[in-house]
Amino acid sequence: MTQTTYAGLLDLAAGAFLLTAVLIVWRRELRAIVRLLAWQGMALAAIPLVEGIYQGDRAIVTVGVIVLVLKALVLPILLGRVVGTEDQERRESTPLVNTTASLLITAGLTVMAYAVTRPIIALDPTEATRAVPAAFAVILIAVFVMVSRRRALSQAVGFLMLDNGIAATGFLITAGVPLIVELGASLDALFAVLVLGVLTGRMRRAFGDTDLDQLRELRD
Amino acid sequence: MNILLMVPILAPLVAALLAALLGWRRLTASVTVLAALSVLVSASAIGLRIGSGAQFGVWRVLRADALSITMLIVIGTVGTLATWASVGYINAELAQGHTNRKGANLYGVLVPVFLSAMALAVLANNIGVMWVAIEATTVATAFLVGHRRTRPALEATWKYVVICSVGIALAFLGTVLLYFASLHAGASSETALDFDVLLHYAPQLDPAVTRLAAGLLLLGYGAKAGLVPFHTWLADAHSQSPAPVSALMSGVLLSVAFSALLRMKSIIDLALGTGFMRTGLLIAGLLTVLIAASLLVVQTDFKRMLAYSSMENMGLVAVAAAAGTELAIAALLLHVLAHGIGKALVFLAAGQLQAAHDSTAIGDVTGVLARSRLIGTSFAVGLVILLGLPPFAMFASELSISRAMAGAHLEWALGLALLLMVVAFAALVRNGARMLLGSPDPGSPAIVVPRSVGGALVTGVILSLALGLAAGPFPLLFHNAATALGAPR
Amino acid sequence: MSALSVVAAALQVVGVLAVAPLVVGGMRQVRARLEGRAGGGIGQPWRDLRKQLRKQQITPTGTTLVFALAPAVLAGSTLLIAAIVPIIALGSPLDPVADLFGVVGLLFLGTVALTLAGLDTGTAFGGMGSSREITIAALVEPTILLAVFALSVPGHSANLAAIVSGTARNPGQVLTPGSLLALVALVIVIIAEAGRLPVDNPTTHLELTMIHEAMVLEYAGPKLALVEWASAMRLTVMLALIANLFLPWGIAGAHPTVFAVLLGIVAVTVKVVALASLLAAGEVFIAKLRLFRVPELLAGSFLLALLAVTASYFLAAAPV
Repeated sequence: MTQTTYAGLLDLAAGAFLLTAVLIVWRRELRAIVRLLAWQGMALAAIPLVEGIYQGDRAIVTVGVIVLVLKALVLPILLGRVVGTEDQERRESTPLVNTTASLLITAGLTVMAYAVTRPIIALDPTEATRAVPAAFAVILIAVFVMVSRRRALSQAVGFLMLDNGIAATGFLITAGVPLIVELGASLDALFAVLVLGVLTGRMRRAFGDTDLDQLRELRD
Repeated sequence: MNILLMVPILAPLVAALLAALLGWRRLTASVTVLAALSVLVSASAIGLRIGSGAQFGVWRVLRADALSITMLIVIGTVGTLATWASVGYINAELAQGHTNRKGANLYGVLVPVFLSAMALAVLANNIGVMWVAIEATTVATAFLVGHRRTRPALEATWKYVVICSVGIALAFLGTVLLYFASLHAGASSETALDFDVLLHYAPQLDPAVTRLAAGLLLLGYGAKAGLVPFHTWLADAHSQSPAPVSALMSGVLLSVAFSALLRMKSIIDLALGTGFMRTGLLIAGLLTVLIAASLLVVQTDFKRMLAYSSMENMGLVAVAAAAGTELAIAALLLHVLAHGIGKALVFLAAGQLQAAHDSTAIGDVTGVLARSRLIGTSFAVGLVILLGLPPFAMFASELSISRAMAGAHLEWALGLALLLMVVAFAALVRNGARMLLGSPDPGSPAIVVPRSVGGALVTGVILSLALGLAAGPFPLLFHNAATALGAPR
Repeated sequence: MSALSVVAAALQVVGVLAVAPLVVGGMRQVRARLEGRAGGGIGQPWRDLRKQLRKQQITPTGTTLVFALAPAVLAGSTLLIAAIVPIIALGSPLDPVADLFGVVGLLFLGTVALTLAGLDTGTAFGGMGSSREITIAALVEPTILLAVFALSVPGHSANLAAIVSGTARNPGQVLTPGSLLALVALVIVIIAEAGRLPVDNPTTHLELTMIHEAMVLEYAGPKLALVEWASAMRLTVMLALIANLFLPWGIAGAHPTVFAVLLGIVAVTVKVVALASLLAAGEVFIAKLRLFRVPELLAGSFLLALLAVTASYFLAAAPV
C-alpha cells in the first residue's frame, strides 16, 4: 500500500464515519438510525484495519476485526432487537430541536471540532492525526444527539456514537490504546448497551412507552 | 506480596461467584461480609509493609501506595458495615414483598462485584485499567439502583447510567489524549499509561494536548464524583437505591472516583503547573457546594437530603484538592474516611425509617428518638458527624481543610465555602430536629431493626467515635498519601 | 485561446440550445418506459415548442415589463452560462470570467427573474410559487458556492476550467471525502434548482403542489416556449457541469484540435445522457417531499457542502 493510498483510504473512512453521524442527526426513524450505526461501526473498524495493513502490525488488525464484529454486528443487532419490540413507536416523536436547526448546529459543531483539535494535529502531523477532527466532530455530534432526543433508544444510539467517536480518536492518534484497555472499553460498551436495553424493556412495562419526557417524577 | 495485593480484588469476586451459584442466603451474605472485612485487613497488612513507599505487583498492573491503602480502608470499612446491614435489610425487604428472590439474588451478586471493581480502581497502576474499573462500577451499580423496580427507581437508573456513562466516556477520551501525549514525550507504548511512567514523563508532556486531556478528565471523573456540571444523577440515584447501596455509593464510590481525579491531578500539575487544575477544581467544587446547599434548603425527602449532603461534601473535598498542599490532601483524606463512615451510619438508619414508614418524606417521620433509641441515636450521631461537630473526625478534617486553604491563599474560596456550609448546616439541623425530636405522631408505625442492621449501626457509631477521639496511625498514613501524590508542603 | 476554442465555445451554446429539449424528452421517455407506458418519444418537447411558438402572444393585463422580459433574461443568462462553463472544451474566450461566483450569480439572476415574473402577475398561485422558489433558492445558492469551493481547494483556484483540468490531471482527487461530499451536495442542489422530484414535480397539474410551474402559469405562446426552453437548458447545463467537474475525461483542452473538439462533443453528450437517464430512473422510485420537509433536505445538503469544504481543507492528501 503506498502512502497516498493509505492517506486516501484513511480519509475516506474518517469521512464516511462523519457522514454517518450527520445522517443519524438527519433521520428520525429508530430502525434507520440503528442501521446507520452499523455502517458507522464499519467505517470505524476500517480505520484500524487500514492502519494495521499499512504498518503490517497484526495486533492492530486483530483489534480492527474485534471492533468490526462488536460495533458493526453485535451492538446494532442487540439494539435492533430492542427496537423490534416497539411497534408503532418506530418513528421518533418530534425531537427537541427540529431537523433543520439540528443540521445547522451540527455544521457549527464540526467547525468547533476542527478548532479544538488543532493542538493534537500540531503535536503529530501525520495522515492519521489529520483525520482526528472528523472523529472529534462525531463526539460532539453524539453529545448533541443525546441531549436533543426524546426516545430512550435514540439516547442509547447517541451514547454508542459517542463511544465510536472516542474509539476512532484513539485509533487515529495512537493506533489504539494497549489491548487490555481496548478490550475493557469494548466490554464496558457491550455491558452498557445490555443495561440500557434491559432498562428500556422495564421502562416500557412500567410507563407504557419509552418516551423520556415521562421520566419527570424525581425533581426538586 | 502479589497475593496480598490481589486479595482486595479477588475476595469479593469469590463472594460474588458464590452468590451467583447459591443465590441469596445467610451463607453467601456472610461470605460477602467476610470478603469486605478481608479488604480492610489486607489493606492494613499492605500498609504496614510498605510504609511511605510504593509497591508494585502482578507484573506492574497493580500499585499500592499510601493513597491506595487509604482508599482501601474506606472501601473495607464502609463495605463491611453496608454488607453486614444488607443481611437483615434484604431479608426484611423479602419479607415485606418489596423485592423477590431474583432481585435478592441479583443484589447478592452485584454488591461484591461493585466492591471488587472499586478495589481494582484504587489499586490499578495503569490509568486505563483504572478507567475500566470505574466504568465497571457504573455497570455493576446500575441494577442495584433500580433494585426496587418502581417507576422513580427506573427513572433514577436511566439518568444514572446515561449521565455517568457519558461522563466516563469523556474521561476515556482524556485518558487516550494523555496516552498520546505520553507517547510523544518518549514513553514506550506498553507502559505509557502506567502511573509511575506518566509521573516520570510528565514535565515533557505537550501542554496544549494535556490541557485538553485535563479538562476532559476533570469533567469525566467529576461526573462520577458528583461534581457540577454532571451532578444531576446523584440525588436521584442515591435516594432511590436500597439503603446499604446508598451508603456504599455516597460513602465510598464518590470518593473512589475523586481519588482517580487526585491521581490525574498529580500528573497534570507536573505537566502544566498547578494553576489549571486548581482553577478547575475550585470552580467545580464551589459550584457543587452552592448547588447542594441551595437544594438542601428545599428538601422534603430525607434520602435526597442525605444525597445532597454527600454532594456538598464532595464539593468541599474538591475545593480542598484545589489548595493542593500536603495538609490539604491529608485533611481531605480524613474527611473522606470520616464522611464515609458517618454517611453509612445515617443512610442505614434512614433505610430502617423508610422500611417502617414506606416513604421517604420528611413530613411523614416524627419523634424518632422517642420511638426507637437505636435508630434515633444512630441517625442523630450520623447527622452530628455530617454537621462537622466535635468530637467526631469531620470537625478536625474541616478545621484542617480551612487551615490548608488559608495557607494556600484561597481565603476567599474558604469564606464562600464556609458560608454555604452554614446554609447546609442549618438545613440539616432543621430537618433533623423535625424528624428526631418531639413526640411522635399518633399512629406512627413501629420501627423494627433487624439484628445485622443494628450491629452495623452500633459498630459504625463506635468507629466514628474512635476515629474522632484518637487518630491512631491515620495522620501518618494520610501524610504519606499526600507525599505519594507529590503535594508540596 | 485559438480559433478552434472560439468555435468550441460557439458550439457549446448552439449545442445546448439544440440538445436541451431532447434531454428533457429523453428523461420523460425513460420515465415512461420504466412506468410501463409507451411515452411520447424523445422529440416531443421540440414538437411542443414548435406548437407554442406558432401561437398568438397573450399578455395578462396588469403585468409590467418584468413579466415581459423575464423569459428573455432567463434564457439569456442560461446561454451565457453555457458559453462560460467548460462543456466541450476548456479555455473558452470568456474564460477569465468563468469563475465560480460568476456562474452562481448568473444562475441566481435567472431564478430571480422568473420569481419576479411570478409576483408580477398578481395572482395567488404566482405569488405562492415565487415565495416557495425563493425559499429554496436561499438555501441552494450557498450550497452550490460551498460545494464548488470545496472542489476548488486542491487546485487553489475558483476558475471552473482550472478545477476541471486539475481533476483531469489527477483523477484520484474525485475519491477524497471532500469531493464525494461535494458531489452529493451538488446532486441535491441540481434536483432542487431544476425543479425535479423529490423537490418539485414537473408533471403535476395540482396547482397547490407546484413550485416552478406555479410561477409560469400565466405564460402562454412564444413566451412559454422560451421559458420551457430556458428551463431545459438550465438542467442540461447543470448536468454537463457536474459531469465535467467529476468525470472530466474526453473534454478538449485549452488549445484543442478538431478531433479533440469532436471527442469533447461526443464525451459530454454521453455523460449528460447517462446522468439524465439516472436522474429520470431515480425519479420513478421517489415520491415528492412534503413542502415543509424540503428545507430539511436543503439544510442537509448545505451541511454536506460545508463538511466537504472542511474535509478538503483539512484532509488534504499528502502531495504526490
